[in-house]
Amino acid sequence: MKHLPKHIRPRWRYLAVEIESTPDAEIDRGAFQRELWYAAGNLLGDPGSADADLTVYSFAFEDGTGETIIRVRRGETDPARAAVACVDAVDGEPVGLSVLGISGTVRACEERYLGRRTGGFDQRHVAFADADRPAFSRDDAVEVSMPTGFVSATELDFE
Amino acid sequence: MAGHYEAVTAYPEGTSTVSRYAKTAASQGYDGLVVRTRGAEYDAAAIGDRYDVDIVAGIEVDAESPDSVSGSIGNFRGECTLLSVRGGTNAVNRYAVEQDRIDVLTGPMAGNGDFNHVLARAAETHGVRVEFDFGPVLRSSGGQRVQALRGLRKLRELVEQYDTPYVVSANATSHFGLRAPRELIALGEQIGFSAEQVETGLAEWGRLAARNRERTDESFIAPGVKRGKHEEDG
Repeated sequence: MKHLPKHIRPRWRYLAVEIESTPDAEIDRGAFQRELWYAAGNLLGDPGSADADLTVYSFAFEDGTGETIIRVRRGETDPARAAVACVDAVDGEPVGLSVLGISGTVRACEERYLGRRTGGFDQRHVAFADADRPAFSRDDAVEVSMPTGFVSATELDFE
Repeated sequence: MAGHYEAVTAYPEGTSTVSRYAKTAASQGYDGLVVRTRGAEYDAAAIGDRYDVDIVAGIEVDAESPDSVSGSIGNFRGECTLLSVRGGTNAVNRYAVEQDRIDVLTGPMAGNGDFNHVLARAAETHGVRVEFDFGPVLRSSGGQRVQALRGLRKLRELVEQYDTPYVVSANATSHFGLRAPRELIALGEQIGFSAEQVETGLAEWGRLAARNRERTDESFIAPGVKRGKHEEDG
């Protein structure tokens, strides 16, 4: 279909969102988009969800951390923020999301807020809860593998 | 106004250590964290230095009956800066709002718990903060979430009517559950709170901590009484 004249095209805002999850989590764009739409549908209802739009634009996730850009209609950024906050797990993996910032263009969004991810995990063993346990560490974050799942700690806990 | 604070359940009851919470909280723009867990081990000063987050030692008493809450108050009041009681039954809610020594009644609407005008007035009289628990709104769905929202609304109406002091928390049990203040404000606005209410609720943790620290300070005598030089007669 012929695209709209410029003055009646929808105006967008782009949310830069940081994703954090467990070291072995595998999250892809489709799963994240689905959870986001569920969250929006449940919180804002169908009309609110349609208003906000909430399309996942770019998505990168690797080694338990990721970044994404979510497209939102201008003027709907507050409901969008609330919907993003309500995504608590993707495919059963717990995720922590925080909105780093909002821009008017994808490029500004990328340049200003994204691309700060650091490298992969180092594997090692740490003394935690009276035993030597395998752990994944990156910067000063340490994920300790326990029988019940991961416990998240930092280097400060092993000093 | 005091900065934003959040209250969290740390390892061993939760799945993140206090320092990890502090790392995430710092990046999300919090100024402080209240630790709810009694068994948590941490070095508040070291964490404060590294992440610039004020760590407040708290204890959340989770007891079935008023009798055991009463015992816990005696045992733990002196150990921590901020003492809260997990509500959730009518008996515990009722008991907690009538205790001057309790700072916060958390999750009053959880489980079978309910709140009414009598409790709201009592909480106001005794300075017990009631907690708006955003946890179920953030992390559950369907009927449970509807019930949680209904509870929040009822509590909010009572709090507004009787000027009961309150706190707001996402009630995280791992650092993934933390949400930035702006996100909580946006969420609050969607479910009927005003932005000011959520901000006040987040800041209230910090105000409480500051008040209690001042009171337990050695130089403290009584509210409004200060040791100092007497004024010279003109």
